[in-house]
Amino acid sequence: MKPARFEYVAVESVAEATEALADSEDARVLAGGQSLVPLMNLRLARPSLLVDVNGVGALSGFEARNGTLRFGAMCRHRFLETDPAVRRQAPIVAETAGLIGHVGIRNRGTLGGSIAHADPVAELPALLVALGGNVVASSTTGERRVPAAELFAGPFMTSLEPAELLTAVEIPAHGEGDGGAFSEFVLRHGDFATAGVAVILHRDGDGACESVRVAGCGLGPTPMDLSAAGEFLLGESALTDGGADELGRRVAAASDPTGDVHGSGEYRRELAAVLAADAVRRAWGRAGSTGGG
Amino acid sequence: MTAVAPPVAPPETTTGTFRREDTRLLCGEGEYLGDVQRPDLKHIAILRSPLAHARIREIDVSGALTLPGVIGAFTGAELAAEVGTFNHHLEAIPTLRQLNWSVLAVDKVRFVGEAVAAVVADSRYIAEDALELIEVDYEELPAVSDVEAGLEADAPQLYEDWGDNVFLYIPGPHGDTETAFANADGVLQEKFTHHRIIGLPLDGHGALGEFDAATGRLVLHASTQIPHFLRTVLAEITGLSEAKIRVVAPDMGGGFGNKVHMVREEALVAVLAMRVRHPVVWKQDRTESLTASVHSRQQVHNVEAAYRNDGRILGLRAEIIADVGSPELYVLGAGPAIVTTAIVPNCYDLQDYAFELRCVATNKAPMGAYRGYGQGQAVFLIERVLDLVGEKLGIDPVEMRRINMIPDEQRPYVTATGAVLDCGSFHDQLSDLLEGADYAAACRRRDEARTEGRLVGVGIAQMVEATAPNIHGLAGQFGVYEMAMLAVQPDGKVNVVVGTKSQGQGHETIFAKAAADELGISPDDVTVSDGDTGVLPYGSGTWGSRSVVMGGGAVIKAARQVRDKMVAIAAGLLDAPADQITVSDGFFRLGEAAIPFAQIASAAYLHTFLLPPGMDPGLSVIVGYDSFNTSPFPDERGKMNVAATYATAAAAAVVEVDPATGVVSVGDLTIVHDCGTVMNQVILDGQIHGAVMQAIGQTFLEELHYDENGQPLTTTLLDYAIPTFGDIVEPRIIHRETPSDLIGGYRGAGEGALIVVPAALAAAVHDALVPLGVPITQANLSPPRLRDLLREHSAG
Repeated sequence: MKPARFEYVAVESVAEATEALADSEDARVLAGGQSLVPLMNLRLARPSLLVDVNGVGALSGFEARNGTLRFGAMCRHRFLETDPAVRRQAPIVAETAGLIGHVGIRNRGTLGGSIAHADPVAELPALLVALGGNVVASSTTGERRVPAAELFAGPFMTSLEPAELLTAVEIPAHGEGDGGAFSEFVLRHGDFATAGVAVILHRDGDGACESVRVAGCGLGPTPMDLSAAGEFLLGESALTDGGADELGRRVAAASDPTGDVHGSGEYRRELAAVLAADAVRRAWGRAGSTGGG
Repeated sequence: MTAVAPPVAPPETTTGTFRREDTRLLCGEGEYLGDVQRPDLKHIAILRSPLAHARIREIDVSGALTLPGVIGAFTGAELAAEVGTFNHHLEAIPTLRQLNWSVLAVDKVRFVGEAVAAVVADSRYIAEDALELIEVDYEELPAVSDVEAGLEADAPQLYEDWGDNVFLYIPGPHGDTETAFANADGVLQEKFTHHRIIGLPLDGHGALGEFDAATGRLVLHASTQIPHFLRTVLAEITGLSEAKIRVVAPDMGGGFGNKVHMVREEALVAVLAMRVRHPVVWKQDRTESLTASVHSRQQVHNVEAAYRNDGRILGLRAEIIADVGSPELYVLGAGPAIVTTAIVPNCYDLQDYAFELRCVATNKAPMGAYRGYGQGQAVFLIERVLDLVGEKLGIDPVEMRRINMIPDEQRPYVTATGAVLDCGSFHDQLSDLLEGADYAAACRRRDEARTEGRLVGVGIAQMVEATAPNIHGLAGQFGVYEMAMLAVQPDGKVNVVVGTKSQGQGHETIFAKAAADELGISPDDVTVSDGDTGVLPYGSGTWGSRSVVMGGGAVIKAARQVRDKMVAIAAGLLDAPADQITVSDGFFRLGEAAIPFAQIASAAYLHTFLLPPGMDPGLSVIVGYDSFNTSPFPDERGKMNVAATYATAAAAAVVEVDPATGVVSVGDLTIVHDCGTVMNQVILDGQIHGAVMQAIGQTFLEELHYDENGQPLTTTLLDYAIPTFGDIVEPRIIHRETPSDLIGGYRGAGEGALIVVPAALAAAVHDALVPLGVPITQANLSPPRLRDLLREHSAG
């Protein structure tokens, strides 16, 4: 369980990083290393070059700008989980980050790393889809924005070019009437989710549901946009138990999970129903209270 | 004002001494195999089969040899020409297929992960790089992945000369089941299944070999539960004499039975150390440990139970099919399945019991020992039968057990399979359980919860466990008893060396106490060591809950012999008869006169003119210790008393099932445990806590998966879920002490909770699902598996 031979370079700027990526056939970016390094040890990933971006200061921190929250790609999960400003301005991000692994993993793992890795059972890619956010990608030829809807191409695959560096993640700022919740099922504390469902909704001043977005992890080959399943809630001003369960049924029906050792596709579908009902109940309550979630 | 609680002092009582080895082990100062360093150490990596079943046409290692840093690359065919083979040495079992196998596969591979070739290099990195340069030409063959499919007439055959895949067949027609079934009011027919799991030590197997060509001596440091047995096998493989081989077993992060087997790689390390003339090391990585060490548990039971309407089980027939994977494992991996057949009668008066055991070879990793050693499957079988028959008859589980339990008056009671039980009262043990668990209240709360629509269940189970199995005739080329050396040094301090091998169980603490109590000194004056064949001629290692019974007995016996000699010296010095000398608190006493322990020691070594006339100098003994109460072979009726002692336990569990997710929450767990005289209750409780965790893992989390082609799907700890701190269930523990007749009065401890708790959990889940009418007949109750069951039920 030792990695194949590779070169390593530690960079200090985005420009250095993108140059290194452009110069190499099969370089990989080393962020938190929580997924990549085990894959290298199993020789399932065999990059010839690791570009370590841990020293790139421009990739950390977050800021609010024109109704958008911009997170540096190197924001650690633990920072997202615990930072008071993140918890206030993006409570659903803090909640979701807290679901990832154990504290030791969250201390190292990064937002950008998780999204670029595109594990279909990972939480943050699904959250990005639910929030309708986008990522910022840089290369030696410039910078572009890629919406979440166009980012995830398959299991562990994104539409980013090999020479592009994911530098930031942007999501809409949390406002009054917004509510979100991420519910997941793990076999043990700290495990990858067998399945997870994020519900993000907005209720207007009268409490009526104005928008609803739903996404899932572990429910398909990519983070799944299941928002269509929630359209029946638009305009509703109350969420009944029947409504929550109906969302669960629709989310389960719209899911496309495959089986593995952690559960069959059928089991994941059953979990999706339970999780969606739970998430929409919590999101609905949060959207209806000031402070939200 | 705030009250300040006084600091809690460690319990330094006769039953509760804190473990002296913990400071070392918990502060990173232990010496595990990975800590053993040598200058010029070379590293071994092993090429493993990617196919479940294939013929090896050709292996070309030349590419590996071109890589800088590679010392050598070796194939099975090359080494087989020079070294000996493994053999189970069980000609005594005529229905066992006789096998010989080498340190690496030669003609055929029979599971994914089987060792095919080996590279020795300057580092493990280089060695693993070199593996990628070895070319193997395989002819892939159809694989047997499912054990029942492996019994079909047209199944692919692992060994063409067998004619089928049955590695071992044992019929066990005990009593008169014909009459029992003829007299029955009804017959229960059920199929029980046990899934494949693994006992997973923190550090896997591994070995570091050093060969001194000048003296012809080999030293092998190996993470093993059985260093002396391994020495015997190394002699057979290498051709060296046992006098030239020293096996040293360092600290270990558990063994759990996995390391009671000698994996072929351990012998390979010895062979390669002799070939390359460098110290060499191989350490199993986690994927190797999950795919190519020792799996356990997988069995299918087809059971018929004949019962009378008053609840009495009259007779039982069990067809037991064990999926043993590749049978090329030493010691015999079919052992647990044999024990399953022996333990089925459990603590019940069941003389008319017939079984048929088939151990079937499949294209999966070898099956072998894991804490519990086949006994959990037997207990699951009989305990499920009692509950299911009781359910048919409307008799509650407690009453079913009381009706069928061995009467208290019958001691010893000889079971259908020949176990000679001298255990305490099963009725009293069950009463202790019901009281400790407040069973009646738990049942009331269950009934209330049911009215609210919640699925709450209460379950009980009992077990008899064969501990310290002294299977003299069926142990192949090994002896099963114990040895200990005890030396009082000239300064009066004591060395104890035992032939058991601690893997973390606290042997340094308990054996120091055992010796000190006999010698009348402080345990602080006793230094205990184990795991070195260079120091003690023989030992049987640690497995089968045998260490306290056999190792403790050996240490006490040795201490008594040395004490007797010291008393004789003291008697001479005090000019008194020996039987008037007493020993306590570090003094040999006669009335007011007292001679310090150390002064007797110095007389024995340094001032030998003080010794009684003709007495030899020195104060040391090496003793062998046998229980003398087990059968060397089965008798003509197939009956055999396998164990020196039998321990007992009972458990009660309260659970709640979430039908939507299949998650089972364990609300309460009570265990009554009787391992005879308790040597150290802190350590004993720790054993029970650990076993409970493994029971939780086995029941709700763990399963090794293979696909239909024999590809392992659980190859890392991401896929194989063992319990973590979030899964802890803390049991309520009640100790009973029914001393055995052996030295110290001990019975074995350590496995019982893992044997009985899964059956109690299954009973509780079954009880929880009564409103849905879903019977539990499988050991695997993980959330997805339980959902499968509920889904099938609602569909069907």
